[in-house]
Amino acid sequence: MRNLAVALLFALPAALFGWACSLIVFAPPEPPFDWMSQMSVADHDALVAFIDHQYTIAAYAITWAIQLGYLAWLGLRWQAQKRAAGSTASPCRSLPSTNA
Amino acid sequence: MKKISISLYAAITVALLSWGFYQAIYVAPADDRLGGQGELYRIIFYHVPSAMVAFLFFAISLAGSIGYLSFRHRRNAWAQISDAWALAGAEVGVVFCTVVLITGPIWGRRAWGIWWTWDARLTTTLVLWLIYVSYLLLRRFAAGPQVQTLAAVLGIFGALDVPIVYMSNRWWRMQHPAPVFGGDADSGFKDPRMLHAFGWNILAWLAWGLLILLVRYYVERRSQKLAAQEMQDALNA
Repeated sequence: MRNLAVALLFALPAALFGWACSLIVFAPPEPPFDWMSQMSVADHDALVAFIDHQYTIAAYAITWAIQLGYLAWLGLRWQAQKRAAGSTASPCRSLPSTNA
Repeated sequence: MKKISISLYAAITVALLSWGFYQAIYVAPADDRLGGQGELYRIIFYHVPSAMVAFLFFAISLAGSIGYLSFRHRRNAWAQISDAWALAGAEVGVVFCTVVLITGPIWGRRAWGIWWTWDARLTTTLVLWLIYVSYLLLRRFAAGPQVQTLAAVLGIFGALDVPIVYMSNRWWRMQHPAPVFGGDADSGFKDPRMLHAFGWNILAWLAWGLLILLVRYYVERRSQKLAAQEMQDALNA
C-alpha cells in the first residue's frame, strides 16, 4: 500500500515531465525558409503560434514537474523522519548546547 | 491553530498560482509587435520569477551561513538554526535555479534556434547552479565535525556569484535579452496587462517558494534534533 502511495506521489511529476518532452519532440517542424511559396501568411502565423504554444506549455509543465517532484521528495523525507522519531523510546529534546 | 494557518497559507498559494497561470496564458496579450515573440514570450512569466526567488533563497542561504559561522562557538542552538536556514535556502534555491536553467533553453530553442550558448548570463547562472549543487553534495556526502563550517564558507562564496549573474546582461551585452526592469528602451513590458500578469506570477512563485522553504527548514530542524537525540542516547548508553 505504501509503495503504491509513493509511486503515485512521483507519478504526477514524471507524467508532466514526459508530457513536456513529448510536446517538444513531437512539435511540428518549423516552416521552411521559402514558406511564402508553400503557404499563406495566415497559415504560417498559425503554425508558428502553435509551435510557440507547444514550447510554452512544455516549459510550464517542466517547471511543475521539478517543483512537484521536489515536494514529493520532501514529503518522503518528512514521513521517514516521523517514523524514525516514533521508533525512538524518548521524545525529542532540544539540541545540546556547547555554551560555556 | 498552527495547522490551520499553514493550510490557509497553502490554499492562498494554490489560488495565487492558479490566478497567475490564468493571467499568463489567457489575460496577457501575445507579443504581436514587429519582431515580437508572439506566444513564446509567456515563458517569461515562469522563468523570471523563478530566477528572482532563487536569488532570494541564495541570499537566505548566505545569511544562514554567516549566522552559522558567527554563532558556532558561542551559541550552538542559534548556529544550528542558522545552518538549517542556510541548507534550506540553498536547496530550494537550486530547485528554482534548475527551473531557470531548463525553461531558458526551451525559450532559446524557439527564439534563437539553439538550446544553449555561452552567453554571460547563461554561463554565470550555470556556474551559480554548479556551486550550490556542490554545496548540497558536500552536505550529503562529507562527514566529520567540519562539514557545516566548510559548507557555510562555500555558501558565502557561492552567494558572491548572485550579483555577477544579476549584472551580467548589463555589463556584457551579448545574446540574452535585456533586463525586464532597468534595461534599454526596447526591453520590458509594453502592455500593462503583461506587467500585471508578471506581478501576479512573482507573488505566486514567491508564496510557493516560501512554503516549500518552510517545509524544508522544518525537515532539517527535525533531522538535527533526531541526530542530537541519537548522540545523547549513545552517550547515555
